[in-house]
Amino acid sequence: MVSRDLVIETKGLRKSFPGVLANDQIDIDIRRGEVHAIVGENGAGKSTLMKMLCGLYQPDAGEIFLNGEKIELSDPGKAIKLGIGMVHQHFMLIPRFSVTENIILGAENSNRGVLNFKKAHAEVEELCKRYEFDLNPKELVADLSVGEQQRVEILKVLYRGAEVIIMDEPTAVLVPQEVDELFKNLKLLVEAGKTVIFISHKLDEVLEISDRITVLRRGQKIGTVNKEDTNKKHLAEMMVGRPVLFTVEKGEADVEGTVLEINDLHYSENGQAILNGVNFEVKAGEIYGIAGVEGNGQTELVETIVGLRKPASGSVKLLGKDITGKEVVDIRKEGIGFVPEDRHKRGLVLPMTVAENSILGKHNSKDLKKSLLLDYKKIEALTKQYITDYDIRVSSPQVEIGNLSGGNQQKVILAREFSGEPNLIIAAQPTRGLDVGAIEFVRKELVKARDAGKAVLLISADLEEVMAMSDRIGVIYNGRITSEFLPEEVDHQQLGHYMLGSEKEGAAK
Amino acid sequence: MNYKYKDWLMQIAFTFGAILFAMFIGSLVIMFIGKNPITVYQSMLQFTFGRSDSIGAILFKSTPLIFAGLAVALSFRVGLFNIGAEGQYFIGALAASIVGFSLQGLPWFIHLPLVILAGMAGGMLWALIPALLKVKRGAHEVITTIMMNYIAYSVVHYFVADLFLDKAQNLPKGYGSPMVRMPKILESARMPTMHDFVGIFGVEMPRYIYLNWFFVIGILLAIAVYILIWKTPFGMEIRAVGQNPHASETVGIQSKKVYLKTFLISGAIAGLIGLSDLLGYIGYMDTDFPRGYGFTGIAVALLANNNALGVVLAALLFGFLRRGAEGLQAIEQIPMDVVVILEGVIILSIVVASQLMRRYFKTQEKKREKESQKTSASDGDKEGLENVE
Repeated sequence: MVSRDLVIETKGLRKSFPGVLANDQIDIDIRRGEVHAIVGENGAGKSTLMKMLCGLYQPDAGEIFLNGEKIELSDPGKAIKLGIGMVHQHFMLIPRFSVTENIILGAENSNRGVLNFKKAHAEVEELCKRYEFDLNPKELVADLSVGEQQRVEILKVLYRGAEVIIMDEPTAVLVPQEVDELFKNLKLLVEAGKTVIFISHKLDEVLEISDRITVLRRGQKIGTVNKEDTNKKHLAEMMVGRPVLFTVEKGEADVEGTVLEINDLHYSENGQAILNGVNFEVKAGEIYGIAGVEGNGQTELVETIVGLRKPASGSVKLLGKDITGKEVVDIRKEGIGFVPEDRHKRGLVLPMTVAENSILGKHNSKDLKKSLLLDYKKIEALTKQYITDYDIRVSSPQVEIGNLSGGNQQKVILAREFSGEPNLIIAAQPTRGLDVGAIEFVRKELVKARDAGKAVLLISADLEEVMAMSDRIGVIYNGRITSEFLPEEVDHQQLGHYMLGSEKEGAAK
Repeated sequence: MNYKYKDWLMQIAFTFGAILFAMFIGSLVIMFIGKNPITVYQSMLQFTFGRSDSIGAILFKSTPLIFAGLAVALSFRVGLFNIGAEGQYFIGALAASIVGFSLQGLPWFIHLPLVILAGMAGGMLWALIPALLKVKRGAHEVITTIMMNYIAYSVVHYFVADLFLDKAQNLPKGYGSPMVRMPKILESARMPTMHDFVGIFGVEMPRYIYLNWFFVIGILLAIAVYILIWKTPFGMEIRAVGQNPHASETVGIQSKKVYLKTFLISGAIAGLIGLSDLLGYIGYMDTDFPRGYGFTGIAVALLANNNALGVVLAALLFGFLRRGAEGLQAIEQIPMDVVVILEGVIILSIVVASQLMRRYFKTQEKKREKESQKTSASDGDKEGLENVE
């Protein structure tokens, strides 16, 4: 199936931004009719490379060849003309337009200034049929699921005659069922002679779908391997530069009394009910994982527990004490460590230093003050302690935290939130956007906390993570915990099923 | 840590570069009205630094601007835009002058502090309304404070021209109508000038220079604000809320309380703006009480990049320009407005320069961090794979 001739070839591509060399000496070759995955940690230069291939960035040096001919991609329009199209991670669709309107937008066929909708509809329908895209061209994009919207994005590119389709982290937003559907579509595309370049850092998916895999690390190409010649461990090693542990090593949970108890919690916003009676409890020494498609009330649930939102009714109890609707300050005093899902919005003050972020929330404690003033010597000493304990890579505590990588930023949050000996740790999407090494670190710390007898509430959109980490799993759907499982009771597919609204028979609370 | 020192020098260089650029634009304006920019700048410098009275005048002119700059800079730190310093100092001055003429028989060491406190209370009261509207109802402070300014002008006018109009002015017949002003502030509430103090050092300041102790109070207050912002837990809350209220709330800082407190402190400082003129110079509140310090304070804070100590320097620069303007008008017959243009161009170029500077420092620091992360991670790298494919 995969022919040997090259569609795209690059030689010595190089791109730098002020202070950062994003890509250096990149030689890649993409064969016609293959699915070629580009993998690498965050900041490895995957997106930069792809943006050069689709004309959004111009390389500082190096050459790009298409079908053996050297090309200059001065803008995205030119790339599309030459048959290279990109499907971005964040969709660029107009919700009030129909599927067809979105697809033809910018490439309209008109007859003396009048749009030929009939023809357009027919063309789109024909495309859908050929690649087995399950879509109604007349439906409004606003009514589509995320997976369907992605199909519209792919169709947009196909409609413009793309031969090479670049997909930037396409599975990041999908549930397992939708991923399967996407892969089915991609296989059909490849059978029809198209070439797919697939960017991801989810290695399981990469190994499932691609023919060959190119690994980038710190802006450089580490190598290209055939799928048959590699495995997950090997790829991760190439990405990170050292062996990586995948399975979370954890022993039997040593479960004790209830720490967090949530009873019939309701919350609504602008007249819309978001939490519809949440019930669950988390015990000391266990990790309770909440799985669910995003937007089913996870964010609101967590923020209600920590006091950022006030519930309409129901109760939250911590170690038997009612903390429902109290101020954040008072709730934190009861012993809650909180790792928020949006690091930059909720977790850190980016323009402040590492030291200041490390003590945020504790800045009024007597240990850090000298009479009325902050004792900067003590703060610095404490921060240095955190830096060693949590392996934070930073040159000095006085560096602005916005300059650190995501992994190092997250470590500062962990250090701050875990150090107060909390009874309950709430970790919302704790590994989102982190690279493999940092993910490993965060997961180990969570297990460590659990083994130290703390109650851990884990919310994650990453099913792998929930299954690997949790001692018990609750599925949240439409603002309720609809089913609870032990991780060994279910597999991915089943869990995905429950996440889409099915309820465990007889067991729903 | 030696780069910190280098960064500091860069910062000063950028600021001076901006001022030089502004002077260049100013030259074009001066040439346009048919004068020689070199002689104009020369006589401006001569007038401001070549005369003993000019230094005192500069310090006196910069005094209200120090308070105004501090009030605005503090509110900027918490992310609020206090356009209302203008109205706050009008109400502050009104409150101070009422206490200043009405409480009789007090010794100065009680009366003067009371009057100053009344000024701060007045400013705080005028800041309280927009602060509450902001915190309780989410009304934007820019809109509400601008409106409060107009109300303040009118309230003061009502008090001066009607309620507390000094009817005891007995002018000899034929000397026109009495002034529209409130009763004079009692001697016990007047702020002494610094003539005696500078006299100790053998400097003789002319009588018509009204430099008074509010200048010293302003500098002390700048130091206090600096300590508040950078050294106290509350200052940390101010900066945290100003830069990211969401993260602050998540760690338990009650951002609304911080907004409210900071805005009230800002208002109290604004209440002091007018007192140097009121208690050290004019001695009564009238309908011609100097306007505009609150707005200039915005420019001062901007120029100082909201740094409390920088506010003092920026205020001095404005004091210098305004004294220079007087000289130009008297000696070169150049309209004062040329200097107003110069002020505007300086602010614009400083804004541009500080943006450029920030970008430069950002990339510098990023570079340094990238390197330090690379070196500390390189041990792990050596074990990485060399032979792939």
